[in-house]
Amino acid sequence: MKSLGSAHRVLMAGALLFYQAAFAHGPVFDCYIESDDQVKCETGFTDGSSAAGRKIHVRDMSNKVLLEGVVGKDNTYTFQPPTGNYSVVFLGGEGHETTIQSSDISR
Amino acid sequence: MTFNRRLLRALAAATFSCLTGAAQAHFQMLYVEETALQRAQDLEFALVFTHPFSGGPTLVMEPPRAFSHISSHGGEKIDLRKYLRPVQWQSRENRATAYRASIPRELVRSMGDHIFVLEPEPYLETEEDVYIQQFTKLIVNVGGVPGHWAESQGLPVEIQPLNKPYANWTGGVFRAVVLADGKPVPFAEVEIEYLNHAVDFENNAFGQQAHVTAPQPAFNTLSTYSDAQGIVTIGLPRAGWWGIAALDIGSTKTHKGKPLSQDAVLWVQARDMK
Repeated sequence: MKSLGSAHRVLMAGALLFYQAAFAHGPVFDCYIESDDQVKCETGFTDGSSAAGRKIHVRDMSNKVLLEGVVGKDNTYTFQPPTGNYSVVFLGGEGHETTIQSSDISR
Repeated sequence: MTFNRRLLRALAAATFSCLTGAAQAHFQMLYVEETALQRAQDLEFALVFTHPFSGGPTLVMEPPRAFSHISSHGGEKIDLRKYLRPVQWQSRENRATAYRASIPRELVRSMGDHIFVLEPEPYLETEEDVYIQQFTKLIVNVGGVPGHWAESQGLPVEIQPLNKPYANWTGGVFRAVVLADGKPVPFAEVEIEYLNHAVDFENNAFGQQAHVTAPQPAFNTLSTYSDAQGIVTIGLPRAGWWGIAALDIGSTKTHKGKPLSQDAVLWVQARDMK
């Protein structure tokens, strides 16, 4: 009874290696400002599958890519925010692109 | 002990019913307004030991032994007692000491499940001359990422959910396992109550109006038992908060020379489909 969710997640993760595109899941994405003024973004999917290896763009208001990063194994990506307004885009796969504006990022 | 407590409760309830038409069960509330959050936000908690259906009377809480947050990342356990502040909670019948806690967004801003656990100081129920200690859990989710909601927290007594407690439609079914020392408890006595009054944070009070009227006192506190595998199943016929309490299942049976009932409580939130 200790961990009802863990076994399920391991099975899901294994399955996702092969069938990731076929699963009906939605992306989830949020960013906040860490104590050292870095911006930390968390990513994932509603079925609990990992976003590791997916790309994240930091873009200016003309949509120019200022930074491109890769989501780590812990489903996070941390960056030094640019000056001025910007957006952060999680490229979670086809139909799974999610954007957060810098005005919505706080501590 | 269970039978005695049940009998005493029945007698007390019958006596009380004669006076007020309401049978009652004690429930440790661990309340926030919303458990399924789109994004993290400051969380305002009310910790009230009360009778949720009737909105009172409320019982005096001593400073809790533990109030903890198990984070969505790595299961780190954080002591939240420094955030507790005593308040006088106005129920429909009386005022009594309860607790409030303002938990900053920084503690819960990670996406996933955030588990809150309250271990109160045992309460002496003078009418029954027994102590009651209700280990209470509440699970908040941020962003919709599933997490460790289904995992046991290793409490002496615990209700381990089999459905996400924060994602339930009105009219759905909720299942959980009753645990004592990590093992399922077959045929445990379980009580269910609907939080039948609004929670007024501004005035530390329950709202005056009851949401529903019970046709008869037996409807105030619903009763059932876990099955042979320790699984309890309840319906959620109305949006709002449902408290589930498994009674007297702990292995510690005495406190300060008197009988002790260690109960496990879990709060479940239901939402209308609209």
